[in-house]
Amino acid sequence: MHKWGMAVDLDKCTGCGACVTACHAENNIPTVGPEQAARGRAMHWLRVERYWEGDFPDVRLKFRPVMCQQCDAAPCEPVCPTYASHHTAEGLNAQIYNRCIGTRYCANACPYNVRFFDFFNPQWPKPLHLQLNPDVSVREVGVMEKCTFCVQRINAASIGAKGEKRELKDGEIQPACVQSCSARAMVFGDLNDPESEVSRLSRSPRGGKLLDDLGTLPKVTYLERQTQV
Amino acid sequence: MDRRDFIKLTAITGTSATLASCGNPEHQLIRFVPDEDIVPGIAEWKPSICPMCAGGCGMNVRVMSADVDTTRKGEAGVVAMSVAKKLEGNPKDPISQGGLCARGQASIQITYHPDRLTHPMKRTGSRGSGEFKEIGWDEAIAELSGQLDTLAAAKNQQALAFLVRPHRGRRTALAAEFLKAFGAPAPIIYELFSDEVLRKANGISFGHEQLPTIDLARTRFAISFGADFLGTWNSPVAQSTAYGAMRQGRPGMRGAFVQVESRMTLTGASADEWVPIKPGTEGVLALGLAHVILAGKRPADAGRAGAAIDGWSAGLPDYTPAKVEQITGVAAKRIERLAHTLVDLQPSVVFIGGAPLARTNGLFHALAVNALNALLGGVGRPGGIFFTPNNLKSETRNLKPQDLSSAKVVLLDGVNPVFGAPRAWKVREALAAVPFIASFGSFLDDTSSLADLILPDHSFLESWVDSAPESGSIETVASNAGPVMKPLYSTRATADVLIEVAGKLKTPVSLPWKTAEEVAKSTATASPQSATPSPRSPARFADPVFDGDAASYPFHFLPYASLQFGDGSSAHLPWLQEMPDPLTSAMWSSWVEVNPQTAERLQLAQGDLVDITSSQGTLRAPVMIFPGIAPDIVAMPVGQGHETFTRYASGRGVNPIGILAPVTESDAGTFAWASTRVKIARVGEGDRRLIMFAGEMREHPHEGDIR
Amino acid sequence: MSEAYSRKLGDDLLRPLLETSWRFYLIVAVLGSIVLMGLGTWMYQMYMGFGMTGINNPIFWAFYITNFVFWIGISHAGTLISAILRLVNAGWRRPVTRCAEVITAFALMIGAMFPIIHLGRPWLFFWLVPYPSSRLIWPNFRSPLVWDFFAITTYLTGSVLFLVLPMIPDFALVRDRTTGLRRKIYGALALGWQGTPKQWHRLESAMSIMAIAIIPVAVSVHTIVSFDFSMAPVPMWHSTMFGPYFVAGAIFSGIAGLIIAMAALRKFLHLEEYLHPVHFQNLGKLLLMMSLLWGYFVFAERLTVWYGNESAEVAVLRVTQKGSFAPLYWTMVVVNFVLPVSILSLRKLRTITGCVVASFGVLVGMWLERFLIVVPSLGHKYLPYSWGVYRPRPVEIMITISTFAAMTLLYVLFSKFVPIISIWEMKAGEHPSPALAPKAAHEHALGETHA
Ligand SMILES: Nc1nc2c(c(=O)[nH]1)N[C@H]1C(S)=C(S)[C@@H](COP(=O)(O)OP(=O)(O)OC[C@H]3O[C@@H](n4cnc5c(=O)[nH]c(N)nc54)[C@H](O)[C@@H]3O)O[C@H]1N2
Ligand SMILES: Nc1nc2c(c(=O)[nH]1)N[C@H]1C(S)=C(S)[C@@H](COP(=O)(O)OP(=O)(O)OC[C@H]3O[C@@H](n4cnc5c(=O)[nH]c(N)nc54)[C@H](O)[C@@H]3O)O[C@H]1N2
Ligand code: SF4
Ligand code: SF4
Ligand code: SF4
Ligand code: SF4
Ligand code: SF4
Repeated sequence: MHKWGMAVDLDKCTGCGACVTACHAENNIPTVGPEQAARGRAMHWLRVERYWEGDFPDVRLKFRPVMCQQCDAAPCEPVCPTYASHHTAEGLNAQIYNRCIGTRYCANACPYNVRFFDFFNPQWPKPLHLQLNPDVSVREVGVMEKCTFCVQRINAASIGAKGEKRELKDGEIQPACVQSCSARAMVFGDLNDPESEVSRLSRSPRGGKLLDDLGTLPKVTYLERQTQV
Repeated sequence: MDRRDFIKLTAITGTSATLASCGNPEHQLIRFVPDEDIVPGIAEWKPSICPMCAGGCGMNVRVMSADVDTTRKGEAGVVAMSVAKKLEGNPKDPISQGGLCARGQASIQITYHPDRLTHPMKRTGSRGSGEFKEIGWDEAIAELSGQLDTLAAAKNQQALAFLVRPHRGRRTALAAEFLKAFGAPAPIIYELFSDEVLRKANGISFGHEQLPTIDLARTRFAISFGADFLGTWNSPVAQSTAYGAMRQGRPGMRGAFVQVESRMTLTGASADEWVPIKPGTEGVLALGLAHVILAGKRPADAGRAGAAIDGWSAGLPDYTPAKVEQITGVAAKRIERLAHTLVDLQPSVVFIGGAPLARTNGLFHALAVNALNALLGGVGRPGGIFFTPNNLKSETRNLKPQDLSSAKVVLLDGVNPVFGAPRAWKVREALAAVPFIASFGSFLDDTSSLADLILPDHSFLESWVDSAPESGSIETVASNAGPVMKPLYSTRATADVLIEVAGKLKTPVSLPWKTAEEVAKSTATASPQSATPSPRSPARFADPVFDGDAASYPFHFLPYASLQFGDGSSAHLPWLQEMPDPLTSAMWSSWVEVNPQTAERLQLAQGDLVDITSSQGTLRAPVMIFPGIAPDIVAMPVGQGHETFTRYASGRGVNPIGILAPVTESDAGTFAWASTRVKIARVGEGDRRLIMFAGEMREHPHEGDIR
Repeated sequence: MSEAYSRKLGDDLLRPLLETSWRFYLIVAVLGSIVLMGLGTWMYQMYMGFGMTGINNPIFWAFYITNFVFWIGISHAGTLISAILRLVNAGWRRPVTRCAEVITAFALMIGAMFPIIHLGRPWLFFWLVPYPSSRLIWPNFRSPLVWDFFAITTYLTGSVLFLVLPMIPDFALVRDRTTGLRRKIYGALALGWQGTPKQWHRLESAMSIMAIAIIPVAVSVHTIVSFDFSMAPVPMWHSTMFGPYFVAGAIFSGIAGLIIAMAALRKFLHLEEYLHPVHFQNLGKLLLMMSLLWGYFVFAERLTVWYGNESAEVAVLRVTQKGSFAPLYWTMVVVNFVLPVSILSLRKLRTITGCVVASFGVLVGMWLERFLIVVPSLGHKYLPYSWGVYRPRPVEIMITISTFAAMTLLYVLFSKFVPIISIWEMKAGEHPSPALAPKAAHEHALGETHA
């Protein structure tokens, strides 16, 4: 049994946002347009948080890509009345769009605010729809959506490996964000394999979890940025 | 349902209610889609090359089958065809090494843009009215060759101006070859954020009129003077990959870097130390560092790079840390410390790019940084800078305002100088007087909407593409790739169109290629490298000259290349419009960045509308409180403010280029886009035009408050 | 209790059922059209998409959930108060109980609409209901929303029973006084009531059982509603005191609602002889007590959060007390605490008008209280980058207004078709079951009103 996790090295992340666009491209995330964006309906399963520190001239910026942390004790799961938000055996926080009735309770419960609601039916003026990834369902109005760890890529790789009667190799699965990151700030893999790159990074003394004290047991590890001159 | 079922269901209800209190009841859910039944779509991966900037990243395109509404042979219908689904960096490409930037990721939307031009068109309304009628390719090609024939008949081939994109590759070679054979001057390049000054300086200092490749991956300490190398400058993907390796790629050794600039760029945000500096004094700081190092009894030899600097051999007596502090505003102590770090942490490297070069004294800064780099031994060794060999550059020239006013026929290959050139150049007015304009671009933009004839190109995913980037890899890169999908529309590869036109001319022009494929696959013949620059007097610092006097225009105005739109050429892609700007989180907007103290002094709140006035005009935009900018500078991203550029960008935001004064770099003659001064006046409270994704800009917004 | 008084009672209290003025039609028409507009707005919202509201990322709950909690809160006036007064056998309760209980039934129905209105896909609301689906998919019993479903349906069933049981003798009375179709309908509703001692006895035991049973149900309902919030790790929601705080708030707003309803009935149905100032004074005292209790809860909540100084919670505290929500917050404090306490603690001001003014304040204040629980917290969760702001949109405002119209409309219709004051309980002194007639002394002790 695998346990998928991610490590994000904030010392490598440049805040460039390539991962944000890659996630849109992979996961059929709609653009909502300026009017809706102004109303707070923009959807970015992955966002690069930026925080200013200090004041000019001693000012610094801090970036932190935040996607669903795939919590092992996910607060979004027990509150969902329909099991649309639930835990899979491989430890993913799965979202069954068809089963979601849109209470938005899960999104309130998620401390990381990484769940996004479809306020309207998504629109892809033709032929933008040709870009849609057929391995990912398009969500209709009234359902909740969020980062899936690119479960379609996990499935495809697992099925491929099964077909070839072999084990999955470390690094074989790359979610879209991880794949796109030029700085290689993100690493994805199996936390149950102590030798995997992601396990190694998760053990780093620089590593920590976001909002660790809430007890959500996230599976994303952030490696702190270093400073030295 | 019978009684038995009912009892069963009741039992399950009870069980699931009980389980609810212990463990994960969803594991009891019956899965109707067993894993074995999940069948992922079958994808094919084909190579291509990103067209969005001169970086030339190699990509892999995921291609899958889809039903496409399209017109084939004049008949509308649904056709099953293979279409591109996702772009990824090609791990085998030495530039992208598997990564792509946000613009590269979004470039797939060029192909599927709902406002893409789908067929040749001829202007019907008055110029710029946007009224066109559909015509056939034969007619379009006849029209273009007819116009060229007229020029040739009048022996006025000189009056043909062909504006091309600044990308290094065979497409430019074709244009150059075509023009040469026709008897017209070389293709014209217009780039707002041009690196010509740096190329020129590198020619003087190192004998390579070329952009450097920075070997960050192996460096221990770097100082970047204004180069946004992780965001928009040069080859961002290659540089970001190297940066990742520099930081955490070598066990036990973490490379550090310092960013010297006046407004924090994306790159500045990642720096270990951010050094704000007075605009137009960057070279002085470089020489100040050199002064300290020279005083430390290092061998003073920096070759021709050193010789290009006045006072070098004397140890730069005019650049003592105290004097440098006076000029640059960077503390003398800091200068000494940084200089020692440069020496201690070897290999170290310094480089320059961006705004410092867009001043009247830009060349000086570049030469100064080059000399410092040479002093550090940072040229051509691991952890330093390299010049990629075989820099095959086609002959081109840079746009001068008069080029257009003397032209009779203008050809546009996806360039938009009406948007990107300062208003004082009067590009629009010049084009209005040009008798014939043809555009090969895929979209109607501020410039191509003035065209008389539109011959839309295939999208890059539908064409043969190639690239021979000038930097980004220490090894020479020359790549080409075939179309990854069939064309969606009745478009035609511009290379094919030019070849056909060449053949159709009354006095046909002979080109060495028969098809676009041959063009892309061909290798460069000669490299018209410019001769070694003639000797010149060593450079010394002269105060930068800004347009507008400091009393009436108290603020420096700094336009900058936006991460999403670059120079504005990708503002039509919805993913990029809605992508939160990394530093401000703004989407779909234009804004003016103002230091918080300045904002407080002028009583400006986030989103308030202000008028920014330069000697050239006024623009109105919302205020963005921005802690990473000096109090006497205001900055604006370039990219929005298109009059015409598809449904997503037309009329959205404002274009800061509009108020730039036509100042030029005094040696290179290039447009010094960071040399305008402005004043600010509050107009009123904000409307909804500043759209932000983020709620707060600090992680602990109330830190320091007494409860 | 004299025969004449008994007849007069019947005449007075049955008058609204038997006579209909143009005013009734007018008010039904006006309220009805507002309700229809509200329904239309909801249809429009469903058709256009949930985005017609002002809800956004991350403020996923706002007006609708505020209304939900508010109306469920209002519902606590009736049944709970009346059950307690019945149990302590407060004589002054008699003219009050029915008009209180009916508030419960209608407020619950309206409140229960909101979890459906607020769904992204309301047409699938039945997935919240445990029904034997052929795919064996059950609701998630761990979800407080499913607990809500059970709590509300139980409470609604209980309080409808509690309301309807004591209506039976009055239906019989109407049956006996009318003819034709009316007689038939009320006859059916009277369930064959003959007033035999056995029937009285059964009614009486049923009422006692209900009165005892309904109290824990009522308490649990608002506790569970509070769990919708306190179960989620949201700053200032995740609090152990939310259960009692919500129940107290519910009773508080419920009493205010009851006072306003009674004042309206008194005025429009000319029930001055039955609803005396002393009724208002007594309810006013209760309201005063609840206001003090509410103030205590708010104080306890704010003080602990402020003192604890946990950064995420303090952010919410700041924005409510000092930031953009401050005007609403301080309005709430004034109308929920300062105003009622100043009016109601002075005997001179504890008049009908005084009580009504205080009650209006409390209704506004308690609506604001719920809004200020829901929205500021959601807008200021742990990661400040994801903070957000909320502005209601016309659909939410219209639907909110229409629920107030719906409540009034249902109330008007009810008092048109059912005696709004329990006639037989008023006659308690003379009805044949001595056990139900409280001793005079007892009654006076609690403020008996009639001679
Ligand atoms: N993306 C996606 N794929 C799915 C599903 C999904 O939900 N989404 N569902 C899956 C399921 S559950 C199923 S059952 C399959 C169904 O997949 P298919 O079996 O492919 O079903 P259809 O496309 O409905 O019908 C097949 C063809 O039968 C033709 N047909 C209709 N009537 C007759 C007839 O009388 N005789 C003959 N000879 N032909 C006839 C129709 O015109 C059609 O061309 O799809 C599966 N695949
Ligand atoms: N108009 C039209 N109607 C059709 C058909 C058609 O072609 N056209 N096709 C017919 C055919 S062939 C079929 S098979 C049916 C299919 O019809 P349905 O069986 O209704 O199929 P779905 O809507 O795909 O899925 C049903 C529900 O299962 C939930 N679900 C998904 N995964 C799981 C899981 O692991 N466990 C549990 N418990 N639930 C899960 C989903 O959330 C969804 O709500 O439709 C039939 N109806
Ligand atoms: S792509 Fe990589 S470097 Fe860029 S923001 Fe995402 S994680 Fe950071
Ligand atoms: S991050 Fe949020 S959405 Fe993801 S599992 Fe955790 S609680 Fe759920
Ligand atoms: S919005 Fe959907 S996923 Fe979230 S709790 Fe409600 S039903 Fe479950
Ligand atoms: S793992 Fe996939 S779904 Fe999640 S943020 Fe990355 S790209 Fe998006
Ligand atoms: S750097 Fe970005 S825009 Fe430029 S070629 Fe590479 S992917 Fe394309």
